[in-house]
Amino acid sequence: MRVLSAAALLLGSFAWQAAGGAPSYTADPASSRLEFAGIQAGAEFKGVFHKFAAAVDFAPDALADAHIDVEIDLGSVDSKDDDRDSTIRGADIFDVVHFPKAHYVTRSFSKTQTGYAAVGALTLHGVTKDVPIEFKFTPGAGGANLTGSATLKRLDFGVGQGDWKSTDQVGDAVKVAFSLNLKPKP
Amino acid sequence: MPNERPTRYGAPAQFLHWLIAALIVNQFVLAWMADDLPQGARKLALLATHKSFGMTILMLAILRLAWRFTHPAPALPAGMSRLERRLARVTHVGFYVLLFVQPITGWMMSSAKNYSVSWFGLFTWPNLIGPNKTAFEYLRTTHDSLSDVLFAIAVLHILAALKHHFWHRDDVLVRMLPFTKSRGR
Repeated sequence: MRVLSAAALLLGSFAWQAAGGAPSYTADPASSRLEFAGIQAGAEFKGVFHKFAAAVDFAPDALADAHIDVEIDLGSVDSKDDDRDSTIRGADIFDVVHFPKAHYVTRSFSKTQTGYAAVGALTLHGVTKDVPIEFKFTPGAGGANLTGSATLKRLDFGVGQGDWKSTDQVGDAVKVAFSLNLKPKP
Repeated sequence: MPNERPTRYGAPAQFLHWLIAALIVNQFVLAWMADDLPQGARKLALLATHKSFGMTILMLAILRLAWRFTHPAPALPAGMSRLERRLARVTHVGFYVLLFVQPITGWMMSSAKNYSVSWFGLFTWPNLIGPNKTAFEYLRTTHDSLSDVLFAIAVLHILAALKHHFWHRDDVLVRMLPFTKSRGR
């Protein structure tokens, strides 16, 4: 009986694959982009993470089966200034020695007027909290593009200790934007 | 004779002179304080204020130069030697040049380091150049060296004004002072 149900499950999953449920992709590192923008002393500054890995299961007609899983190497932060980057990696901000990675895993998806929305859990600086994202999914030749954005509050994750806790200098809200060039998972 | 040169600076010229002078003193104090701090939030806060005041000085410098071109300055006292006149000219032209060059090199420095300049958090000035480490180092050296030049000519300017006032007893200092009367010399 157990074997049977396992077989049924297996079959079921094949059927679901065959029906085009939610194909699996990985983001091509070279052509995908993950950037953030914060406010410092009233002026916006932008940076990118050079190293991150994203796995995506997505099909517009199978939102229940959709998943986005992103792992970000926080040490790869680049805001085009070495002083600022080393400060961001330092103990008072990302503390990459203790928390080298951030991880984002979605839980649920919904359709919006312009695209899709998802809610997922972001683990950053040892704190896990929900962060909603919005994105557009554009299938293309040999893959798809997933472009979207999110806004999170850095202090929710304890990002900014000591003098950096104050929002006078560095704003609490940080915008995140991503453009993932998705290739079918081999 | 039309366009006769005045004997005193007008109130707007005096106002701009003393306001900009006070802001420049403030700029030196903020820069020195920031220099003494390690990389961190406090240093960035001081530098952000330095930048906001620097942009203020740039805007006031535009006003001041426009005013200077449309309102002739009082003549230098008779009896100054050619060297003294030349020195006075060089000092004053140097001030005007630095009133523009210092804010602009500072602004470019910020742009090269990818720190956009905000004006007291009210709005953000556009970046003048893209992120560029080499340009930043070059601009920092320029901005620092010119601040030494500015300091030196400010010292010369103040000593000269005091020399005129206490030694020659002419009205060179007084004619730039509000709420005073010229000595009529």
